[in-house]
Amino acid sequence: MNLFEQNLSLISSSNPALAAAIRESGGKAITIVEARNGMPTAMESGRWIHSAYDPQREAHTWTDTQKSAWQAGEVAVVLGIGLLYHLEALCRVLPPEAKIAVVVPDVRVLHDACAARSFEDWTGRVEWVWGSPDEMAAQLVRSGAPLRFMSYTPAARLHADAHSAIETAVRAQVAARASGRLHVAVVGPIYGGSLPIAHYTVTALEALGHRVSWIDHSPHHSSYASIGQLKEPRHSLTIQSKFAELLSMHTLARLAEDPPDLVLALAQAPLTLPFLEQVRRKKFITAMWFVENYRHLTYWQQMAGGYDYWFVIQTGACLDALRHAGAKHVTYLPMAADLSAHRPVTLSPDEQREFGADVSFVGAGYANRRALFPQLLSNDWTFKIWGNEWDGATDLADTIQRQGARIDTETCVKVFNASKINLNLHSCIGDGLDPQADFVNPRTFELAACGAFQLVDQRSLLPALFATNEMAVFQSPDDLGKQIPTWLQDSGARATLAAAARQRVKAEHTYVHRMKELLNQVGMSQPDRIGALLRGDRQADRLAARSEATPELVPLLRSFPSTQRVELKDVAMRIRSRGPSATLSRDELLLLMLDEYRAETRDLV
Amino acid sequence: MPHSMPNKADVRARALVIQLARLGDVVQTLPAITALRAQGDVSLDLLCAVSFGRLARAIPGIDRVLPWEGTKWQCWAEQWPTTTDSALNEVRSYLHELAPMAYDLAYNLNQHPRAIMAAHLLARQVRGPGQNGPLSPDLPPWASYLRQVVADRRTNRIHLSDTFCGLCGVQPPGTPPRLLPITASLPPDLAAIGDREGPWVALVVGAGDHVRCVPIAVWVEWITAFLSASPTGQVVMIGSGTERDKSQAIQDGLSSVLLGRVWDATGRTELPQLATVLARCQWVVGADTGPLHLGTAVGARAMGFYFAQARVHETGPYGRGHWVWQAEGERHEARGDGSDLSPYPSPPTPHLWPIAESVELILTGSCQRVLEGWSLWESHLDDWGAYFTEAGSPVMPDQQREAVWRTIGAPSAMELSS
Repeated sequence: MNLFEQNLSLISSSNPALAAAIRESGGKAITIVEARNGMPTAMESGRWIHSAYDPQREAHTWTDTQKSAWQAGEVAVVLGIGLLYHLEALCRVLPPEAKIAVVVPDVRVLHDACAARSFEDWTGRVEWVWGSPDEMAAQLVRSGAPLRFMSYTPAARLHADAHSAIETAVRAQVAARASGRLHVAVVGPIYGGSLPIAHYTVTALEALGHRVSWIDHSPHHSSYASIGQLKEPRHSLTIQSKFAELLSMHTLARLAEDPPDLVLALAQAPLTLPFLEQVRRKKFITAMWFVENYRHLTYWQQMAGGYDYWFVIQTGACLDALRHAGAKHVTYLPMAADLSAHRPVTLSPDEQREFGADVSFVGAGYANRRALFPQLLSNDWTFKIWGNEWDGATDLADTIQRQGARIDTETCVKVFNASKINLNLHSCIGDGLDPQADFVNPRTFELAACGAFQLVDQRSLLPALFATNEMAVFQSPDDLGKQIPTWLQDSGARATLAAAARQRVKAEHTYVHRMKELLNQVGMSQPDRIGALLRGDRQADRLAARSEATPELVPLLRSFPSTQRVELKDVAMRIRSRGPSATLSRDELLLLMLDEYRAETRDLV
Repeated sequence: MPHSMPNKADVRARALVIQLARLGDVVQTLPAITALRAQGDVSLDLLCAVSFGRLARAIPGIDRVLPWEGTKWQCWAEQWPTTTDSALNEVRSYLHELAPMAYDLAYNLNQHPRAIMAAHLLARQVRGPGQNGPLSPDLPPWASYLRQVVADRRTNRIHLSDTFCGLCGVQPPGTPPRLLPITASLPPDLAAIGDREGPWVALVVGAGDHVRCVPIAVWVEWITAFLSASPTGQVVMIGSGTERDKSQAIQDGLSSVLLGRVWDATGRTELPQLATVLARCQWVVGADTGPLHLGTAVGARAMGFYFAQARVHETGPYGRGHWVWQAEGERHEARGDGSDLSPYPSPPTPHLWPIAESVELILTGSCQRVLEGWSLWESHLDDWGAYFTEAGSPVMPDQQREAVWRTIGAPSAMELSS
């Protein structure tokens, strides 16, 4: 039996279907060459997958890093195939009870590996994961054990898209199983567009059953604004900077008083880099949902390394830029809608008269809107503009409602529901459509959630969020002008699209969906911390079931409701509640001692 | 893992003194250990923070030092949520290694729950805080007294070292305790400390709490005054690594002609080396009580500047012939006349400092006048422990101490005597 057949036979013993697929694939995905030390190594498109000198030594170096991250009970999920030197090394260093899975997005690579070098007994402990992304995800999450992803980058880069799809599918499937409850501190901005999103985030997390500490800085807005009115800009900036430091301290105090599992900040949250460094020293996990255009607001460049996790509303260059600036984990997380805030409403005739129009726009008077909207003035339809910052737009004066006053969410919802066509033109500083039209704004989701028909400018990230039968899109100002009369004449089509868009939001684009994704992303990256909490590993019944080495603690743990999350402080409190004359066991004393040190570790202020 | 019982062949009872507080507290435990040792043939071990382990081994009368590793406990506390079982197993192994057999008695000197838990984990019986049970809020008489002193310190005359004796159920030893000789090699450029003619003064540049720090300008003035008045005098600046900036600033403020007699040891000494430096100096001067106590324990005379929270009667240098300058506001408290009308619970950093006066005291043994805003106290020792008398007043032992001892009493520590 030749090398290839021997290796295939090893794989076949645990996974005959995969072995058959390997044989059928024919290989030739990577190029095998000889390394300086005589061992086979591999290349793809001129780039090395393994060391050109000593592939085994390189694999051992990689394994050392992975081994230190792996925790008992976790499944090590290896991304990247190559010639499997790294997988072999991992099998040799992880303890025998450790479960190891390897993702096979392309069986041709495995074919090439089988033909290049001899596998040995270590393959017997490997679980081969292959199929569609959903099938692979299902295979990975089936055991319920925490997953520790280990990426061997030189090989994994060949299948980055596939790995991303698998991770997304795993997140979704893990989310569906999540029963654990977290304590999340949400830190909001002082003011601005991310403030309502912070509110929606809080609501969504609570809807998911998590405990939320809402650290609301909006009550400080009037002070902040008054500082901004100083005549000398230098004074304003200096004092506002100090103000942000003060609010950081306030946040620290809140965290110290009730330590959360995760600190989630929304864009513009007044948190300084020294604050983030301090909370990291105290082992808090921090995340930022940067719900802003990264090209316009650029303070992320200084803050990138400060947060453990970044979530952004753009992809591609945005992800690269943040990583380049020092962000460790960056994930695309688009905007969403809160169905309790943005919903279909029934309007009275008076309300319909006041808020309704053939064409409406709600938003601030950015340059491109001021330039484009005059072209839409027509005797064939009514046009109303709602929102602020329209000063000086004299040609639009008759369309601007309430003298350009800011309108609240409730009024927005009425306008959306009352209008036949809601224009949704993403802002930009030029005079046309956004030349770098990627992210999708909150208004898109909010209009859809209201069941309102909208005409939105083309965005590169829109097709992945809404289909063409869910949303009408215009490509240019001329196109917009042409589409308006068409849609005005077809109320049935408008209603069909609007209803479909609302269904899509309900199914996929609420803040509840986003928070699930966000938490599962953090949980997957930290299977032993957030991941464990999300899986419900801290629930009393699970803790009791796992207390093999401490059976004397089981009655104590069983004294809690079975699904209650139990922390050290809860156990300590239960022990202390037995009264001053209680006789304590040795383990109970140990727990009280640990609790004393736990309290000390969060001494922040 | 449960403790095993002591072997019947081991006739010596085993006791453990628990002192998990700071350097000054560890040194101030010496009188209690001396008194306990004098009580009989008991094996006496000491549990203290790992950072004081080497120093603690120089305490006479201690058979073994158990190093308490707080950072490990912090790690286990952090791990517990994720690795409950393994964290507990590690803790058990650690405790077993620390003390394979349970002690017959723990003398716990700290009121912190950590010390109380440690006492109950390591010993079958506890004396001191926690002696009525690990969760009992009831304190033994001396611990109650100590707590009362913290709440209202004005009239107290019992030194902290002596309350430690009381907690252990022994009377103060009546002799100034000393550490066994510590010989630690010094960095080459510091090796000559103490070799030349003196007097050598170890100057504690900082303090654990920043409100208790002597200002840099004051130290510059003090060193200048001392070296100007003493042509052969030498000053060794001591402190932690975080105080190097301070010592550098002091040197920057000194005339270059004096720098040849100023030695900078800040941040360059481990505790045994610090003890070695202090042993080579005739005086230790400063506001940080920890090094002052250490200095007295290795034979140096101490002069303290006490302000903010520091109070002479509680934490003054233990022994005979040490001096404390007590700042205004605390002075009335020190006298116990209850006449402190200061709006501050403790006074801020003084504006005037007894620089010339304190230099004069070191060089001549006396002081012609006491600067307004300060009082000067000298230390003494008798059968009831340490006491301090104000300069210029007759040396009369304070009667209050004896009354307190007779009220609270010193029950025998000899439950352990075989």
